[in-house]
Amino acid sequence: MVDNIAKKEYWNSRFAFVMAAIGSAVGLGNVWRFPFICYENGGGAFLIPYFVALFTAGIPLMILEFSIGHWARGSPPEAFKKIGKKWEWAGWWAVLVPFIIALYYVVVMAWCFSYMIYSIDLRWGSNANIFFKNFLGDTGTPEIFGSISLPVVFGLIVIWLFVFVILYKGVKRIGKIVAITVPLPTILLIILTIRGLTLPGAIEGISYYLTPNFSRLTDVNVWLAAYAQIFFSLGVAQGIMITYASFLKKKSDITNNAFIISLADAGTSFLAGFTVFSVVGYLASSQGLGITELGIGGPTLTFITYPTAISLLPVAASFFGMIFYIALLTFGIDSAFSMVEPIVSGLNGKWKISKAKATGFICVIGLLISLVFTAGSGLYWLDIVDHFIANFGLVMIGLVECLILGWMYSIYKFREHANKTSEIKIGIWWDYLIKYIIPSILLILLVIAVFDNITNPYLNHPWWVIIFGGVSPCITIFLLSFVLMKIKKHREAV
Amino acid sequence: MELPLSAIAMLIFGSVVLYGGLAYFLYRAMKSKRI
Repeated sequence: MVDNIAKKEYWNSRFAFVMAAIGSAVGLGNVWRFPFICYENGGGAFLIPYFVALFTAGIPLMILEFSIGHWARGSPPEAFKKIGKKWEWAGWWAVLVPFIIALYYVVVMAWCFSYMIYSIDLRWGSNANIFFKNFLGDTGTPEIFGSISLPVVFGLIVIWLFVFVILYKGVKRIGKIVAITVPLPTILLIILTIRGLTLPGAIEGISYYLTPNFSRLTDVNVWLAAYAQIFFSLGVAQGIMITYASFLKKKSDITNNAFIISLADAGTSFLAGFTVFSVVGYLASSQGLGITELGIGGPTLTFITYPTAISLLPVAASFFGMIFYIALLTFGIDSAFSMVEPIVSGLNGKWKISKAKATGFICVIGLLISLVFTAGSGLYWLDIVDHFIANFGLVMIGLVECLILGWMYSIYKFREHANKTSEIKIGIWWDYLIKYIIPSILLILLVIAVFDNITNPYLNHPWWVIIFGGVSPCITIFLLSFVLMKIKKHREAV
Repeated sequence: MELPLSAIAMLIFGSVVLYGGLAYFLYRAMKSKRI
């Protein structure tokens, strides 16, 4: 079992690390989730809490996670153990959450994979709604399991295979892959945006996207969604950035890299908003509807609205359909493997299981569990798990991270570590953000979210569905993190 | 239909902060000799 772990892995270059971290941060969240969350939370007004969340939580937390990973030079469980033996569970918790996200994230990618193929002959025809129903075998409720969708299963196998092939050789291969998979979708997105903006009605869509509705800023759910989106999109509070930073060389920059990666991620989300809303405006104008009448929500935007709009394009509809889904796939694959890498590193670090074996084991387990989401009711279960993991799991990990590092450890040591190796120096304000501001915001958001979800069950689903799909995954991974902490290390076991 | 003034303001604000900021930090990274 003990093989390649004696040799510490490093990124090929600063470029490789920055690209890998951008690749991890930029994903379906930017194209699939951001425009949808933005649409649901007051359009342009959402940009304000989003920017606030980026600068008060996203960037400071990314600097913190880079500092921890670079300082500890190990996976999140090893890093938290180095802070204090009793905190190892927090590291396991932080690597289990992105693994859970990966389980349904790859399913969305499998949908994209099928849709990329269907784009060749625009198989969804003029009514993407019906096609989506046929494609997924939508049961209309999470209470009826439904049948497995074979095209989705095929896509799922392909995506997990890609994840395995990219990860099992270690970070040097990741560095080579991201040199293609990060710039390519950005170029494709720019092409799609230019096409979208030249369509009739695009300005109306952009207007809905950018015009701020300040009254929504009083709605606490809008702020919760902004912070959750930042955590989900940037890859913070998921153990990913700790893992990636552990592969940095000793004299690597931390702070400047954190700014570049965070701004590149948010910049892509901002750009994707134009890509999506210009097409939404075009669709509304073509069908003589107001934008609010389109009833866009969740994957509907990407798998119903966008394909419908593509079908209506006068020229090269198939071409634009294909590049849209290729962009989604290439955006998503970097994020997908980055969500799997922390748990692989955790297994590799603690039990000295080789990268190849750990990756293979996790990918097979991941594939088997992901199959649940390929059923006719998968869309509903996916949405419920996403709601609870993104809005509670990530927020709670961010909170625990700040409490452990800010209050149980000397946070200034991480600031000094970051300043020692970075060109841009951060001041004491950062300590206050980690110790007081971020945990306070997260705690308030968490309490309100718990209250909201108790008084109004999510989407009025029955309680057993919420407990089974939302609450139990959160509790299970929390308890599992303690179990993983208690299992002895390889050498101790022998 | 024209873009409302508040939307144009958000467009400029968002672009300056995000893309201007990104360009600035990339410039500093390229100037720096850190690995």
